[in-house]
Amino acid sequence: MDMSVASHGRVDVRDLHIRFQSKGQDFEAVRSANVHVRPGEFVSLIGPSGCGKSTLLNAVAGFLKPTAGQVLLDGQRITGPGSDRGVVFQQYSLFPWMTVRANVEFGLRMKGASANERQAQARTLLGLAGLLAFENHYPDQLSGGMKQRVGIVRALATSPQVLLMDEPFGALDSQTRVVMQEILTNMWQRLRISVLFITHDIEEAVFLSDRIYVMTARPGRIKAELDVPLPRPRTAAMTSEPEFAAMVKQIKGLIREESIAAMGGELSDGGLVGLSTEVGPQGVGHLV
Amino acid sequence: MSALPHIRAYAPPAAAAAPKPTPPAHVGQGVTPLPLPMPAATKPSFWQRFWQSRGAAALLGAVSIASVLLFWQLATHYKLDAYIRFNNIPTPAQVMEKVIEVNSSPKFVTNIGISVRRILLGFLVATALGVGLGVVIGRYRWARALAMPALEVFRPIPAIAWVPMSIMLWPDNEVSIVFITFLGAFFPILLNTVHGVEAIDPVLLRAARTLGAGEASLLRHVVLPGALPHIFTGLAVGMGVAWVSLIAAEMISGQFGIGYFTWEAYSLISYAEIALGMITIGVLGLLCSGAIRLLAKLAMPWQAHSEGVR
Repeated sequence: MDMSVASHGRVDVRDLHIRFQSKGQDFEAVRSANVHVRPGEFVSLIGPSGCGKSTLLNAVAGFLKPTAGQVLLDGQRITGPGSDRGVVFQQYSLFPWMTVRANVEFGLRMKGASANERQAQARTLLGLAGLLAFENHYPDQLSGGMKQRVGIVRALATSPQVLLMDEPFGALDSQTRVVMQEILTNMWQRLRISVLFITHDIEEAVFLSDRIYVMTARPGRIKAELDVPLPRPRTAAMTSEPEFAAMVKQIKGLIREESIAAMGGELSDGGLVGLSTEVGPQGVGHLV
Repeated sequence: MSALPHIRAYAPPAAAAAPKPTPPAHVGQGVTPLPLPMPAATKPSFWQRFWQSRGAAALLGAVSIASVLLFWQLATHYKLDAYIRFNNIPTPAQVMEKVIEVNSSPKFVTNIGISVRRILLGFLVATALGVGLGVVIGRYRWARALAMPALEVFRPIPAIAWVPMSIMLWPDNEVSIVFITFLGAFFPILLNTVHGVEAIDPVLLRAARTLGAGEASLLRHVVLPGALPHIFTGLAVGMGVAWVSLIAAEMISGQFGIGYFTWEAYSLISYAEIALGMITIGVLGLLCSGAIRLLAKLAMPWQAHSEGVR
């Protein structure tokens, strides 16, 4: 089980268009998006609510077929869900009838791994996430943060090429979220797996990522692509560095325009006088 | 005061010889804990403690049963006749005597055995068909569109209404009674299974597919266990309806069985046996639903930890 250096896990989203038919209305979710994740890279996709960032991730996961464009994993076209892409969902998606370890072993069981092999792999990963003591618990006995850690471990257990995370900490309280971000960055440091991370939390994206794509309001396009200059490994102390604050401020500015656009003319920028870009820790994306 | 962080400095009410609490870490760090009002140390009174004890529940349960028996005894002893008539109703003692009498011959036990066999057969077939069909209908739209209209035609017809048709339909009486028992259990099991399958969180199905589960694994490892709580609701309801249907069928068309025993007792004006039959049916029903509850506990160990356990 050598997962230290990722040699594959390249995701290419090329000129992706996604349209839905919803209640008889044609609905354009994503328009000509280009997103790339290099092997071993942590990439975040950030944008205002409803901008189609989750739709884009669902296309990479294989839940949705592109209307036009290509989604490739290591040069292969993605045709459906598969265990080469681990997915962590925003809602807790653990199977309530399986113990923590059985949840983690599920993907390996589907691959036909032996009981011993499954157990060894599951226990290694649970240990990495600090959950070994809870291997025989049921998900309902765990806190939200623990459930989501199990979710991450379960997605990693099949040694996927890429980890797709759809606002995984969105349901957690802000204190837990900060701790989870640190746990995730530590795990990533160990595993060096490609990650495509969806969030609307700017600090979270900056803290975790090598690169950040900012999306526009619906229909989602890529508005900007930014490299995060912070060194690795990341530590909580970095969040108080001026570099971090500058990056957050820059992205806030980009998203603010889109959040206002997403409100569809309910508010003009003038209507937000007095709301500086430094409102609240969550950024303006949160207001929408 | 607003500058002070709110610190919880709750200490339990001082017990005898309690060790002196060590000062919290923040003392002397420029943070002053706010004094919190101590909860008044009230000792629960004798009665408060008594009503919360296990013994109280058992005592009240005994009082509850005893009062029914007492009313029965008094009403039959004094031949209560106030619109409802207790003139011909046997006393508890007479029924007790009957219990001993019927157990001296194998006839009574045989009747019970036959009824239990009919229930088990009908219920097992209903479970297999109801759960199997329910999973398929709940999971696949085409199956639902195909099967539900036909099933909806039969669903409103109570199992008892099937008695005459069933006698004509099946080659022998025994099969027709099992069929009626089956019908009683089938629809609650089917409909609850369908509901359970439909109620599964779609994110679980997606998660399983990203972990490499094919359709067969999805059914076995996600759909079936996910629907299990609803399936057991269906089994519990189905078991109740199965007994209703069985007793009615035995009373109408039966030879043997505890329903037949009870009806025959009425024909033979053996009043104590009527009461005995009724009580036996009640006990058997209780045992069967208890068995299902036990099975549910064993089959769904995770339910013990979730909120809102039935």
